[in-house]
Amino acid sequence: MTTTAALVRAARDGDREAFGRLYQLYGRMVHGVLLARMPRDEVDDLVQEVFLKAMKQLGSLRDPDAFGGWLAMIARNAVTDARRRARPTQELNEELPAPEMGGERAEAEAVLRLIRGLPEAYREPLVLRLVEGMTGPEIAERTGLTAGSVRVNLHRGYALLRERLTGNA
Amino acid sequence: MSDRYLWDKSGEPDPEIQRLEKVLGPLAHGDTPLRLPEEPVAAPSPRPMPSPRPSRPPMLWQAPRLAWAAVLLMVVVGLVWELRPYGWRVERLAGTPRIDAVDIGRAGRITRGQWLQTDAVSGARVKVGRIGVVDVGPASRLRVLADRGSEHRLALERGRLEAYIVARPRQFVVETPTATAVDLGCAYSLEVDRAGAATLTVVAGWVSFEREGRETFVPAGARCVTHVGRGPGIPYFTDAAPGLKNALTLIDLAGDDVPDSALANALAATRREDAFTVWHLIERTSGRDRVEVVDRLAMLVTPPQGVTREGVLGGDPAMLERWWNQLGFGAAADWRRWRDAGPGPTGTP
Repeated sequence: MTTTAALVRAARDGDREAFGRLYQLYGRMVHGVLLARMPRDEVDDLVQEVFLKAMKQLGSLRDPDAFGGWLAMIARNAVTDARRRARPTQELNEELPAPEMGGERAEAEAVLRLIRGLPEAYREPLVLRLVEGMTGPEIAERTGLTAGSVRVNLHRGYALLRERLTGNA
Repeated sequence: MSDRYLWDKSGEPDPEIQRLEKVLGPLAHGDTPLRLPEEPVAAPSPRPMPSPRPSRPPMLWQAPRLAWAAVLLMVVVGLVWELRPYGWRVERLAGTPRIDAVDIGRAGRITRGQWLQTDAVSGARVKVGRIGVVDVGPASRLRVLADRGSEHRLALERGRLEAYIVARPRQFVVETPTATAVDLGCAYSLEVDRAGAATLTVVAGWVSFEREGRETFVPAGARCVTHVGRGPGIPYFTDAAPGLKNALTLIDLAGDDVPDSALANALAATRREDAFTVWHLIERTSGRDRVEVVDRLAMLVTPPQGVTREGVLGGDPAMLERWWNQLGFGAAADWRRWRDAGPGPTGTP
């Protein structure tokens, strides 16, 4: 039995430490999946919602080894729900002008905005790799995607990001 | 460009990728133990953020006077900030939830002393500080009793709520007319009827249901019904045999004079996993009834070494606790430690 499967089974039985351990293992992944789609200041709240939903629905997860992919799906759906709840002015502010490239935070936000403008298949792996610091194998393991798929999307996504960063897109 | 460093950080580091990692790294999720993120600062009616210092110090002031004025201002603002009601965010899930009879619209905030009410077609979600959420069902009425620091307390007068709490035990408490539900880190639903009787069903984790010294510990997958004037009943798994559930209802309502047939029917319908139900029956019975209960529990779960039949029949607390620890729900000392500690830092065992 994998570590995740054991933790999921324990968490189902009410083991709070096990659920906390799942949070430690998958918190970055959830944060990254959300950050690839939403403004930074809305992500932390949603991370909480995602784990609470996961706790509520843990009993419905048939294959504990599929926890990562299942959790990632909950995270993506949470973004959809959050957007439905938000007022129009609170939608992703992609229409706002890019800030001046001054200050590390402004630069980080600008790069993140570029990543969010890439094709969807590239956004998550790039955020998980470059922001959350996960390796490709970790991304594959945590999200339930195949290593081959993650590697291709990382490679192509980064190539496209480079072009846009250097203005050669 | 080498793909290896991008893929698994091996091989020659790519300077461009390293630079992006350095720039973007501060946006990452912090690797901290399970801890809920901060509640959004924005609120439907945001209170103005206090200014920590004057934006334009008068040029005529001397530096020491200016410094003292800034300190004084910060102290005053800090006091005002600390005395403001914290409140919890409430979001509409359906219909028109109301806080103190005022429609909240899409969202509002509820603070200590206020009532949240839903009609037959309304629902609301309450974000309980940093520790979780409570979904309030239709035809419900609840009040916030405490909403600061480590104490989160509600009173559910009637209706239904589902709580999803991720916090140290005993940081979230729901009072009902007939018993108090104390969260030990879990998800559960709680329903109160118009007479004040409550039904607690635990989805994950644990809940302690308490009234006037009588405690009932309800694990995931189990339910406990409270009765007006009697407090928490005997808990049971929701998939227990109907015969057991029906008999437990009779036992709960009978008080001290438990009908022989009810007890016999209850015990006959117990499985190995119902041992925790039988364990709770020990304290609710006496004399010959208790003998039957203890003997049945011994058939389901062998008493550990050091636990004697005579001791348990005599109500020896240490022996009862050691037998509980054999049932597979964790050590009684764990939940007892939290009870004694109360809200606040957890410390180590």
